[in-house]
Amino acid sequence: MKRFSCLVLIAALLVIGCAHSSNRTSSAQQTDNISSTPQEAKATVNTKQTQAMQAEASPPAENKAKSDDEYLDDIKDEEVITIADPLEPFNRAMYVFNDKLYFWLLKPVAQGYSKVVPEPARISVKNFFTNLGFPIRFISFVLQADFSGAATEVGRFGINTIWGIGGLMDPAAENKINLPKQDTDFGLTLGYYGVGHGFYIVWPILGPSSPRDSVDIIGEYFLYPVSYINPWYIWLSVKSLDEVNATSLRIGDYESLQDAAIDPYVAVRDAYIQYRLKKIKGNDVKPEAAKTARESNPAKD
Amino acid sequence: MKRQLAALGILMLLVFALPVYAGVPLDTVQKSVNKVLDVLRDPKLKADSAKEMKKEKLRIIYKSMFDEIEFSKRTLAKNWSKLNAAQQKEFVDLFEQILEKSYIDKILSYTNEKIEFYKENMNSETQAEIQTKIVTSSKEIPIFYRVIKKDNVWKVYDVVVENVSLVQNYRTQFNDILTKNTPEQLLEILRKKVKDQ
Repeated sequence: MKRFSCLVLIAALLVIGCAHSSNRTSSAQQTDNISSTPQEAKATVNTKQTQAMQAEASPPAENKAKSDDEYLDDIKDEEVITIADPLEPFNRAMYVFNDKLYFWLLKPVAQGYSKVVPEPARISVKNFFTNLGFPIRFISFVLQADFSGAATEVGRFGINTIWGIGGLMDPAAENKINLPKQDTDFGLTLGYYGVGHGFYIVWPILGPSSPRDSVDIIGEYFLYPVSYINPWYIWLSVKSLDEVNATSLRIGDYESLQDAAIDPYVAVRDAYIQYRLKKIKGNDVKPEAAKTARESNPAKD
Repeated sequence: MKRQLAALGILMLLVFALPVYAGVPLDTVQKSVNKVLDVLRDPKLKADSAKEMKKEKLRIIYKSMFDEIEFSKRTLAKNWSKLNAAQQKEFVDLFEQILEKSYIDKILSYTNEKIEFYKENMNSETQAEIQTKIVTSSKEIPIFYRVIKKDNVWKVYDVVVENVSLVQNYRTQFNDILTKNTPEQLLEILRKKVKDQ
């Protein structure tokens, strides 16, 4: 009996000791009250990868005295996030065009629209259009071999179409069902298989993109139900509603980015690249891979 | 008896281990954010005339929460050493003003949105990322704070909004400017920006 209790004590010590040293991600979760969602799990995986990458880049650095230039070492890993911009003069012109389009047309219309239509209704309209984007997301997930993502999409589409009144509501995302909104597209699918952006391009009206991400323009043409609306003027009105409604829910975002930027064109370009890259990285790491990468990281006590 | 003793031992271990679990970096950031929220919610400061006072209070919290030199260093990266000491000092100062002016209205427009602190990732012994999100009626905005430990104090050196790192975003901009201009010209651009805002 005595031996047993000693054993238990030692086991407890070990468990606590381990959790303390190497697995603080889960420890912080103890204090929170949110159940673990797939997104969260992805985030964990993602950060684990970063940890592993950092460990690879500077194996013994953790015990080393911190020098003044330490920030440069950290930055080295991040600095890959840039994109070639051979079309800069054209892109800058398109940026100005889109900027004017936003401030002179889209924003005033969206502001007027949001005065007439209350926010809950606008959120419903947004949900409706999001629900219509199901084919693109579903096929993208299948192509990425992310079958749980694809299954989630099917579940969300079914639930929201039937119980969400044709997609106006989003009951699937609620706590009981817990299938939160996902986001993916063909550009990210290509990115998942390692296809790079190529270079930066700003399309008139459509905005920041790259040759790779432009496949979504084609994908949307074939797979977004709205594209099949005939005659063209009804298509155009529906498309405009989609756009104006979405804009009405994010008025101010672009303004604050622009306001804070020293060179807004570069700021938008960088934000676009960072945003897209993180999305791919979030899907990229399989849990097993992350685990082995972590185990090869004995630097921590 | 022995068994009870062991149980007690385990219990004590758990109790003493808990403060470690809470995570100092997360606590530090959360405390600062709560202080900010207290100022924003303060009914005494609701009036428009109290706006300046609010700003002043927020500035004090900001100073204790952020490591502005680390922030500036990381945005300039290898260009940091191209600035002389006086230029560095002016840069930190100007950059702070730009950030304050750009974001203060956004912060002051806060209307009781929920802020959830849900994760802390230790990247190393001295660096961590605190993941939070702001929940509004129409969306959730993920905001991550990257913190660094210096002299036993955790301070924020980068904010990542919707997966876009502020430091990286400015670094690209400053790098772009500095490949075509001198540090002095960069400061001139910043001075102009501060004036125009």
